Amino acid sequence: MFWVQIQRRFFLKQTKNKLLSFAYLIEASKSYRKIKNFIYDLIENDDCPYKKYFDFFMIIIILLSVTILVVDVKHHIPLWLDNLDLYVVTIVFVIEYLVRMWIYSDIHKIIIEEYEEASYFEKNIPIFEVLTKIVKNKWGYVSSVSAIIDLVAILPSYRGLRVLRILVLFRAFKMLRYTKSLTGFLYVLKNKKFELITLLTLSGFFIFIAGIMLYVFEGDNDNPNIHNLFDAFYWALITISTVGYGDISPVTTEGRVVTMLIILTGIGLISFVTSIIVSSFSERLSVLREGRVIQDVGKKKSITVICGYGLLGRLVASGLKKDGIEFVVIDKDEHLAAQAYNNGYYSICADASQGDIFRQLGIDNRINHVLCLTSDDIQNAFIAVNIKSLNKNVSVTARCSDEEIAQKMEFAHVDHVIMPEEIAGMMGAVYAGEKVAFEVLLSIIEEKGKTQIDEINITEGSFLDGSTVGEIDFEKLRIILLGVFRHVDFNPLGEFVFNPSDEFLLSANDSIVCIGYTTAIANLKSRM
Amino acid sequence: MENILLFGYGSFGRQLYKNLSSMGHQIKVVTSLEEHENSVDDGVEILKINIKRNDDILSLGINPDVDMLYCSMNKTANNLFLVLTLRTLFPHANIIAISNSFENTRKLKYAGANSVIDLYEATSRRIVNILTKPAVTRALDEIVYNQNDLKMAEIVLPKNSPIDGRYVKEVEFKKMGVVLIAIIDKELGHELIFTDHHINHKLDFGDTLVVVAKDDDLSKFKGYLGE
Repeated sequence: MFWVQIQRRFFLKQTKNKLLSFAYLIEASKSYRKIKNFIYDLIENDDCPYKKYFDFFMIIIILLSVTILVVDVKHHIPLWLDNLDLYVVTIVFVIEYLVRMWIYSDIHKIIIEEYEEASYFEKNIPIFEVLTKIVKNKWGYVSSVSAIIDLVAILPSYRGLRVLRILVLFRAFKMLRYTKSLTGFLYVLKNKKFELITLLTLSGFFIFIAGIMLYVFEGDNDNPNIHNLFDAFYWALITISTVGYGDISPVTTEGRVVTMLIILTGIGLISFVTSIIVSSFSERLSVLREGRVIQDVGKKKSITVICGYGLLGRLVASGLKKDGIEFVVIDKDEHLAAQAYNNGYYSICADASQGDIFRQLGIDNRINHVLCLTSDDIQNAFIAVNIKSLNKNVSVTARCSDEEIAQKMEFAHVDHVIMPEEIAGMMGAVYAGEKVAFEVLLSIIEEKGKTQIDEINITEGSFLDGSTVGEIDFEKLRIILLGVFRHVDFNPLGEFVFNPSDEFLLSANDSIVCIGYTTAIANLKSRM
Repeated sequence: MENILLFGYGSFGRQLYKNLSSMGHQIKVVTSLEEHENSVDDGVEILKINIKRNDDILSLGINPDVDMLYCSMNKTANNLFLVLTLRTLFPHANIIAISNSFENTRKLKYAGANSVIDLYEATSRRIVNILTKPAVTRALDEIVYNQNDLKMAEIVLPKNSPIDGRYVKEVEFKKMGVVLIAIIDKELGHELIFTDHHINHKLDFGDTLVVVAKDDDLSKFKGYLGE
């Protein structure tokens, strides 16, 4: 007896140890993690490029099984097709159900957690508690609505009960999972739950009253079509919904009065429901659109963010668009965000002083510049600090009108503080002394004319790489050399050499700054 | 040095005052009564007038041949009205105005401003340049925005200068540390011509050269020309 007990304990201990070492093995395995992550992405992550193939496959399978069911009603289908429905579809569904349960959570983590907790208190690992915890955890999946639909959708494969076949409809429900727009519709219904339930209760009440009244007035042999209370309720629903089949119609004056009343109520109720759903949809539309924007942005390698779509934001947006830089506009104001969208830019209505939107857009790896261009200095400083606290490597440019605030922004390591008044003030000052020079400056800075200032990066092995300034025939290139910009170690901003001498040796990664016709500059760039 | 009348002392007006006074110009600051209440008191003497009344403006004693009129009121409507008033009173005055959009630039030009600075146009170009053309940004910083020795200047060729009657290609601008960007060749009218096409203009007395140079080289060059 004693021996058996020892043996049992030994056996239990061994299983525990095996379980534990298995849990640690899984925890340590990189390839297990990789596979699980991949499958999770494939099934659940909308950003995964392969998810659409999976969704498409599942929809085809569902349509196939529904078609087989429908054809089977009147025609005899061949046995192999029936078997296909029975085995292949069922197996796919069962596998999907199990896989979804698998990726729902990590069992081994629960085991390890429990073990570590137990060993901390120097206790034995309570194996039954662990098991109940695991079951409870997975029950969370099994009891979710979508999992129930999945499970019920498997049932029609059971051929014993003919009535189960109707459950194939759940397969159609299952399709909701794979199409995003339909889930959007469900979301709308959920969102307006309160209003819809109120209206439903109200119409239920009217149907109840009207049905009873009609039954009282006409149920007593007056109307040959009303046999019982159910007929009266059926009539009330058909009438209030304005469908009006006419198979049952009132014959007494009292009955007609009731009909008139519920027709009027019915029109009101229906227009009410419609307007609620429509308005909820239009609210939802902008959210759907922004979800789309975030998804699209997620595919880019790098993106610039413009915060604020006022006068300056608009000008910068069109400038960036012209120069082929990809950007997304964020504005708190719904109308301005919509305007940016209508101008053909990616736009999101959000508060840029909060972290959420930047995390969604990829502050860690995707965003490389943020431009704070709202008209409020404090707001710009707020946004700049927000960005820098999320990721200090993102370059931030902020617009500012007040010199004291500008100092604070520089203290917060804002990379470029731009003061429109200062820029215009300096230009205005140039005008005072030298009007012609001012015209030149204006036309160069505002890029209105054909002659522009531009830079050309010297690429390795190009004809400029390794030649001196004196050797280059700028006259033939039709440009004026203003200076050379060189990246140097001692100054992170680089060094600008104005009017380099003829002996100045150009090398790769230098940029030459020059003035010339757009075509001349484009020509030179194309030779790089 | 120029005589300047600066209308409006808001955020833009103050910046203008700072830059103009650092260049040594004579400045008289004027504000309207309503805008004066919001302006900051930083020791600058400010005249207060009612810009709607011609008498008030005439009492400033503007000499349209000498004075430059800067219109930088905070409100675009006031600014536009001011430009219009000044133009009707002084048909030949030199008026420069500030605008905050392309739309308003057009209106201000129509109202009679000789030149209009678009507050946001230059700023937006600069922001875009920071992202796309770092070297150009740096160069413009050095030439325009930073207060260091590199600058853009215009020179009207004096009589009997050593380059009078010579051709552009014969003059060693580069050796003298001067980059020639544009020219107004009087023989060809008043049009500003950029020199990127390297047309060999003949330089005569009265032609205007627009150059970029360091302060030292610029004054040496001017001395060479005999100014």
